[in-house]
Amino acid sequence: MANIDQLSARQIAAGIAAGDFSATEVARATLDAIDVREDGVQAFLQVSADLALEAAAKTDARRAAGEELGPLAGVPVAFKDNMHLIGTRTTCASRMLENYESTFTATCVQRMICAGATPVGKTNMDEFAFGSSTESSAFHRTNNPWDTSRVPGGSSGGSAAAVAAGEVTLSLGSDTGGSIRQPASFCGVVGLKPTYGAVSRYGVVAFGSSLDQVGPFGRSVEDVALAMNALVAGGRDTLDSTSQELPVDFVAQLEDSAEGMRVGIIPALMEHEGLSAEVRAGLGRARAALEDQGVQIVEVDLPNMASAIAAYYVIGPSEAFSNLARFDGVRFGYQEPGCATLAEQTALSRAHGFGAEAKRRQMLGAYLLAAGVYDKYYYPAQQVRTLITQDYRNAYQSCDAIMLPCAPTTAWRFGEVSDPTQMYASDLFTISNNIAGNGGVSVPVGREEGTGMPLAVQLQGPAFADHTLLRVARAVERGIAGTDAFVPGTVAPAFVGKGGELA
Amino acid sequence: MKKLQEVLRDWEAVIGLEVHTELTTLETKMFCDCKLSHDDEPNTNVCPVCLGMPGALPVPNKKAIESIVMAGLATNCEIQPRSYFYRKHYFYPDMSKNYQTTQGPVAFCMHGHLDLEVSGQGAKERPDSTVEKDAQGSYVAPIRILRIHMEEDAAKMVHVGGGEGRIGGASESLIDYNRCGTPLIELVTEPDLRTPEEARLFMEKLRQTFLTLGISDCSLEAGSMRCDGNVSIRRRGTTEFGTKTEMKNINSFKSLHDALEYEICRQAEVLEEGGIVYQETRHWEPSKRRTVVMRVKETADDYRMYPDPDLAPFDLSDEFVQSCRERVPELPDAKRDRYVQTHGLKRTDASQIAGDPAVARFFEEAITYAPKAVQTIANVVVNLVPATTAVTAAQVASLSSLLAEDAITFAQAREVLELVDGTNDDPQKVVDERGMRQSTDTNALAATVEEVLARCTDQVRQYKEGNKKVVGFLVGQCMKASRGTGNPKLFNQLLRQRLEE
Amino acid sequence: MALTQDDVRGIADYARIALTEEELEEMCAYMNEAIDLLQPIREYDLEGVEPTFHPIGDLSNVMAGDVQNAHGRSLDLDVALSNAGAKQGRSFRVPSILGEEGGDR
Repeated sequence: MANIDQLSARQIAAGIAAGDFSATEVARATLDAIDVREDGVQAFLQVSADLALEAAAKTDARRAAGEELGPLAGVPVAFKDNMHLIGTRTTCASRMLENYESTFTATCVQRMICAGATPVGKTNMDEFAFGSSTESSAFHRTNNPWDTSRVPGGSSGGSAAAVAAGEVTLSLGSDTGGSIRQPASFCGVVGLKPTYGAVSRYGVVAFGSSLDQVGPFGRSVEDVALAMNALVAGGRDTLDSTSQELPVDFVAQLEDSAEGMRVGIIPALMEHEGLSAEVRAGLGRARAALEDQGVQIVEVDLPNMASAIAAYYVIGPSEAFSNLARFDGVRFGYQEPGCATLAEQTALSRAHGFGAEAKRRQMLGAYLLAAGVYDKYYYPAQQVRTLITQDYRNAYQSCDAIMLPCAPTTAWRFGEVSDPTQMYASDLFTISNNIAGNGGVSVPVGREEGTGMPLAVQLQGPAFADHTLLRVARAVERGIAGTDAFVPGTVAPAFVGKGGELA
Repeated sequence: MKKLQEVLRDWEAVIGLEVHTELTTLETKMFCDCKLSHDDEPNTNVCPVCLGMPGALPVPNKKAIESIVMAGLATNCEIQPRSYFYRKHYFYPDMSKNYQTTQGPVAFCMHGHLDLEVSGQGAKERPDSTVEKDAQGSYVAPIRILRIHMEEDAAKMVHVGGGEGRIGGASESLIDYNRCGTPLIELVTEPDLRTPEEARLFMEKLRQTFLTLGISDCSLEAGSMRCDGNVSIRRRGTTEFGTKTEMKNINSFKSLHDALEYEICRQAEVLEEGGIVYQETRHWEPSKRRTVVMRVKETADDYRMYPDPDLAPFDLSDEFVQSCRERVPELPDAKRDRYVQTHGLKRTDASQIAGDPAVARFFEEAITYAPKAVQTIANVVVNLVPATTAVTAAQVASLSSLLAEDAITFAQAREVLELVDGTNDDPQKVVDERGMRQSTDTNALAATVEEVLARCTDQVRQYKEGNKKVVGFLVGQCMKASRGTGNPKLFNQLLRQRLEE
Repeated sequence: MALTQDDVRGIADYARIALTEEELEEMCAYMNEAIDLLQPIREYDLEGVEPTFHPIGDLSNVMAGDVQNAHGRSLDLDVALSNAGAKQGRSFRVPSILGEEGGDR
């Protein structure tokens, strides 16, 4: 029979509903694939075999009882390890939370499970999501399935790699400055960062509360659309004051013709030094694919985008300092033993529980929020945020989506980018979208000459038009498929077919 | 140390209050749906939100927002439609997130005021030269309110190993998060208070107002209403503020008054001896009747305040504010005036009854049973009821009617009230059973009067000679002769009539 | 006006992150480098520009009803204490606060 990594989410749910195979068989095949492939990928921090088999058994029981199955029935899904799931630890890849047992389940996780998905584990990430390569995980690195000597990107590197290596069909990540889109592009999978507020943040350990957004990874736009349907089903989450209703079917119009749609490009950005020729070529390929389908390419401008990095590295660290203040070793988290005073215990627990980057971000934030400094940086940064948001609003007057790179280059080698501020600069193309709170998606468009690493483009859209965004993404995917440059559903060659046979 | 009144002749005290009030009448906490608890076992009512667990998010309690808007309307504040919650950071484990969710520069309620009526002994604290007083020496002090903002209360900490559970010397501390996240409103006055008495009256009036709104049980003892006092002094005639100290651990109106009195006198002594008053927080020790330094504040704390990104902004609609306005009941001052105007109560009785919503409810129920005896009911409610444990409004009404028609004396009324306290007995019945009802049959009484006058010829002569006081003795004789069943007032009248003939 | 090591030590004390002298040096260099990256923010004329603290459009007045445990989230004691490093009886436990300032508010 088929290998689990060759099936789309829809095929798995349909196959289970039809009785071609059971959810338990799918779960077993998935655990087998993980067993065989994990040595090479190291995408997971924790594999929850028991939870997976338990959930799968429930799905099979429902079918046996003639009950209707969810749209993601039996579909194996992995969760970034900053999402709570009762029965698992939630470590944020940090010593601080090494032994933290989830005391509740995140809304996004719950909704995937409600849709029938089978939870198979928690994936690796940059510590507390501070990073772009997953190298800052306190536990181990995660390898890029396309070349294990390269980073998977980050911070949701584990979630992207697990899908790229065919270990799971779907995964969830979180995106504060590009943490879904960039690893998706590095790993050759589709990754969507929905509009801020479209997906509940309840139960997801916060980094930048006004920037964080949860979204899905999949090997095709359709799988990502199915995951989005599950995440927005049930309307706004009353447990998240910033969540909003997004009552749309992400799959319904996916196959509609893109003819007449307008996609904006930013000429100035294409000339950005540091943008590799290959990435630029990938953009050209996507543009051609869209034009072939009658999509009109228009030129737009985001005049304040250059300041997005500065605004981001004011807002992000400030909110991070504030959000991570609760880790004092008292109610949870690492507690330094043998301290005489509370002050000593707090300062040493935080010093030894947090990694270097987590400490840097908090120190920067603690400085930026200080009296006197706040008015110099934080307040103006939020004003610049207004300008950037207006830029986007203006741009979307003349287009349905904007196409731009995800990252200046394809995945780099481990240790290649070590200087933190140099790492920050690589977020240039993804960050402005978090500042504005709009949706963005990364779509594979081929492989780099020589390295064979995946190439991708990023599409960004107006607030709460994420379904339209996926329609454009599907058009790119469809067009690229026609050129054989990249086939949707492709699993990294080194891992495809390794374990995971559906018995 | 000099006495307060002496000090206040040369020095002007400048007092501001910060009053924290827990919204104890709500069902749940400020940002989560945990039960509000006051005496539950430690950490019984906690959830990921109020324990500050990673990933938890706050959602504001609508009823709490309505309550603070009502508090603002009741204290003549401007309700600000547009405001944010802010995060106020400080590392201390009684705040589970290590920041407190509170409000920023704009609070829900801004720029209100309350007018204090200062009278009696307390009014003497304020030198006559500094305020316009009426014939009785009473005066009105208008006190401005800077703001009332919404925030969350902290956890309770028990300090182990130190003296009297004090933090000093404690070897460890235990934390109970039941109280963490309890809705708390903080009212900040402008520095308009000039005497400890004014401060005490302000707190009392605020408590009466909040009790009437029904937003809190306002218990200073239990800490659901807490007050910090800031006080500085300056030479009379000068305008520059002196260095202020902050008074903590004030858990009664008396403590508030006495702590401020002590601190004013202490500061005056320090300054008059050429010393310096340091900006510091001081702790009131009721037992030793003094304040001691808790902490010297060299620099202002930097709380890294910024708008909480997890909480959407507020943009209160006119409808929302209006619906709150409609739920503000008749407030103590208005109630007092109504009692004076429509029932002719004494102003002091009226304000005493109007000041406590429970007493006011009791009074208003009682007068429905005996509309004719309203003043007597007020008199009984103010002077007799406080000493009882469980008398009903109906009993008080029935008793008051007896008093009103002179069927019993006030002394008997107290006795009867004690008898019916805790029972369902009707005072009328008790009075009759015990033959306490006094005769108002003038013919019967007249006979007694004649008998007594015939007996006490000396006193009669003394009266005619001008010693009218002997009537008291004669009334006593009549009472004795009638074995207490005659009405003393009537005896008095009849005796005078006869003696004047 | 770059941050000095004393400035950074002060921030570390406030943020309750103990740093070794060596770490302090690195941190100081990093922070000054990071702050350079933020300068574009200061070159704007932002007169009359409203800040965007929440990227949520017109969403406002989000509130919940005053209903006990409406979401069934309240935790059993053992779960509430399960991740704590130190507890005693029903309470979380911390070492002596002596010398701590946060205590007074």
